[in-house]
Amino acid sequence: MPFELSYRQTWLHKINPSFKFLLVIALFIYLIFVDNPNLMVNYAIGSVGLYFFFTGHPWKRLLLIALPFLLVFVTSSTSMIFFGEGEETLFNWGLVHITKESLFRGLHLGIRGMVFAILGVVFSLTTRPVLLFYSLMQQLKLKPKYAYSFMAAIRLLPIMLEELQTLRHALKVRGAVGGKGIRGFYEKIKAFAIPMLSQSIRRAHRIAIAMEAKRFLNVNNRTNYYQIGFSKFDVLLLLYFIGVGVLAQFASVNFPYFGIEDVRVIG
Amino acid sequence: MKEITGVEDLRLKFPGTDSLLLKDFSISIKKGEKVLLLGPSGSGKSTLLQVLTGLIPNSVEVPMKAKRVNIPKSWGFLFQDPDTQFCMPYVDEEIAFVLENLAIARDEMRHYITDYLKQVGLQFEDIHTPIQSLSGGMKQRLAIASVLALEADVLFLDEPTAMLDPTGTLEVWETVKKIGENKTLVIVEHKIEQVIDFIDRIILLNDDGVIVADGTKKEIFSDYKHVLVEQGIWYPGVWEDYLRNRSSPNETNAKKPIVTLKEFDVYRGKEKKVHIKDLTVNQGEWITVLGENGAGKSTWLLGLMNLLKTKGCYQIDNQDARRLSKLTDYFAFVFQNPEFQFVTNSVFDEIAYTLRLQNWSEDQIVRKVETLLARFHLQPYAKQHPYHLSMGQKRRLSVAAATVMEQPVLLLDEPTFGQDARNTFAILEQLQQMRNKGTTIIMITHDCHIVKHFATRVLYINDGRLTLDCLPLQYMEEKQQSLEV
Amino acid sequence: MSKGLKLTDILVTIIIALIFGAIYKLWGPLYGIVSTFGLQLEQLLYGMWFIAATVAYLIIRKPGVALLAELAAAHGEFIFGGEWGITTLIYGLGQGFFAEFIFASFRYQKYNMVTVSLAGLASGIVSLLIDVYYGYIGDLAMWNLLMLIGFRLIGAVIIAGVFAHFIVQALEKTGVTSLVRPATSVDYDALDQ
Repeated sequence: MPFELSYRQTWLHKINPSFKFLLVIALFIYLIFVDNPNLMVNYAIGSVGLYFFFTGHPWKRLLLIALPFLLVFVTSSTSMIFFGEGEETLFNWGLVHITKESLFRGLHLGIRGMVFAILGVVFSLTTRPVLLFYSLMQQLKLKPKYAYSFMAAIRLLPIMLEELQTLRHALKVRGAVGGKGIRGFYEKIKAFAIPMLSQSIRRAHRIAIAMEAKRFLNVNNRTNYYQIGFSKFDVLLLLYFIGVGVLAQFASVNFPYFGIEDVRVIG
Repeated sequence: MKEITGVEDLRLKFPGTDSLLLKDFSISIKKGEKVLLLGPSGSGKSTLLQVLTGLIPNSVEVPMKAKRVNIPKSWGFLFQDPDTQFCMPYVDEEIAFVLENLAIARDEMRHYITDYLKQVGLQFEDIHTPIQSLSGGMKQRLAIASVLALEADVLFLDEPTAMLDPTGTLEVWETVKKIGENKTLVIVEHKIEQVIDFIDRIILLNDDGVIVADGTKKEIFSDYKHVLVEQGIWYPGVWEDYLRNRSSPNETNAKKPIVTLKEFDVYRGKEKKVHIKDLTVNQGEWITVLGENGAGKSTWLLGLMNLLKTKGCYQIDNQDARRLSKLTDYFAFVFQNPEFQFVTNSVFDEIAYTLRLQNWSEDQIVRKVETLLARFHLQPYAKQHPYHLSMGQKRRLSVAAATVMEQPVLLLDEPTFGQDARNTFAILEQLQQMRNKGTTIIMITHDCHIVKHFATRVLYINDGRLTLDCLPLQYMEEKQQSLEV
Repeated sequence: MSKGLKLTDILVTIIIALIFGAIYKLWGPLYGIVSTFGLQLEQLLYGMWFIAATVAYLIIRKPGVALLAELAAAHGEFIFGGEWGITTLIYGLGQGFFAEFIFASFRYQKYNMVTVSLAGLASGIVSLLIDVYYGYIGDLAMWNLLMLIGFRLIGAVIIAGVFAHFIVQALEKTGVTSLVRPATSVDYDALDQ
């Protein structure tokens, strides 16, 4: 996490960041093709376990971070539940037409959205951006030019957020900016975007010069302050997900929650 | 002695500008010299440093040509803004970045890092310390440490203390003096009080980027002092020279209370940041608010503006401040960074903005804006974009635009920060005029000269508490005593 | 001068992307609240997710910038634990590629409102294509699906096209864009005056 929070280092922090990154992406791609809601619920349980027990952050904070997940659940499911196509009507009121099919498809989407959200947050809670970029340079051959630009930009974020706050105050003092409607909406975006962009472009420009003044681009044989390798914990994480996968599969066949195996074809 | 860096017949032009910034410019600097470049902003001093290091045109594309550019074999560069010198979040990582560029072996890095930090007088329990937690002066010393890591013989310093408070400024120059003894120094700076004693050559540029004088500091100070005054350089004794010609003295007259605070708390989020037990501000006072960085000075002002959550009794002109329909009828606020206050595309519109919100007629607006443009010496720029103005002009515009409704109280957050001498005096005179007409001024500053010569009252904030409320003279005496102890 | 992206270009692009990333972040809750009504009105705001690419391209005017901007915005949101998680990365990649494709088809020579509007539209279309797989939007009732498509594309053109154009135009007036735009031969010729 960028804004220094105190937490306990767990084995998840010791995993090679590139490996963790690729694993999460692989899971993402795999889960897109899972249409069985029973399976999806089991994966959700597996991810929630990782989130609550192994990220090393205090429970209170984890619960707080988890709040938006509910929003993800609701936003990913409502349109489908209310307006999805389906045969078996459960509820009908005006435009709202909830069918058994749309309900399950909606819930499935909601749960999947949550799984992705949790995996993403598990990653960000257990990975320092700097180490991620060192690892991307070392294991995935990302060009230093890009990696260090990212790191420099991330360093500026807290400064930019502070500035955004000041800007808000300043605009409030000067009086209302923008009125109603689409023009007012544009004026509002502009009032924030112009000072923020011009400050930040100048800053980025200056940082780039400062980096080159420190001989950044002159070298091909750079050394590395952090050497990121692999460890047994990488295997552990892989095993965890294989374990969750096998159990999820087994449970979904033997102890299903719903009598539906594919939310795309129901009934 | 032989030349270590220099340029001959340099021509340089920024894209989109009308004329050459530097035309047939030549300079030669010898090994071991400590050179100070002086000149008004926009005369091309910073640009020159970037040419001498090859940053222009290698890193920044600026059209230029020269008969000869002599880039030193090893050089380091110290920039102005402490926040835009670093690309890594932690102290150790930042110096390691330089070592990586020099292909130093990984297991030697820690040793080097500690060593360089020690040389600039930075000591940490753990070198893995967030850069964001450092003060401005410490950040600049960290930047010096990374320059040391380059093992540079020639140091280019581009106003490294322009954005620092007096303490930070002192720290940085002490460090430069210490590490620069055997090196060549090329310095651009307009606050020269602390620099001057280790400089042996001064080069003076004019508005057009032409060298007017080049000599020892003694020669320059005796023969070219009028140029220094004109250019707003902070030379030693500049305050004394200014005060000699100043007319209006500062005296308090009316004693009508305008702001009253009792058990007044300001919060950031859930955290109580400032607590004022009891304070009355009277009409016509000029209050300077002093205190360390992060003591809660700005937070207090934001609280007075109702921009942060506050609790306790807060009255303006005997009315509950929180019930007032528009606090901005009473208070004008000038932020530290003028650009954040600009919402329009021209200097004229910027001043007219509030008047238009108040539905003034266009005739009235033109008249009012013209008056203010004249008073703040901004007429020639009426049609310009506010961002195109110089630092001093931007500051004057922000004051003009904020005070257009002639509110009885003016709050300012370090209005003279980073300004040259000429602009500082100009702003102070404007404020003095407003006060003479009855405006109450509450102003955050670090500058003791302002406290001594302009303020009528001093508030010192320490860790969110008001620890001192006295006359400027008392404050200066106490400060003197604490220094002697 | 070399044609590739210089360090300055990369850094500026990433920062622009992160700014809009931060705005996305402020956007998130608003977006969520509107979308619970299920009427697809939130789709009008969806264009905010494409604007980093078009703004960065209009400012820097070089190949690769649009893609980098979308990736950086998505990546920024990902490593800071945005609630949409990895999803954003896939969308960012697709949207960036399609915007880049539009700019390339004009050989990176056009910087007007029509071009960026087309790029916004292209990003909108690709996001819809991913949605077919990801959000099963093909299974929505027809009227609802049409609203979704219509609102999203309109929003994409207005925000990522029209707004981006005007924002950069306003930014040009501040003079800051000249820092990142390459100098012209006219500027070089002026040296010999």
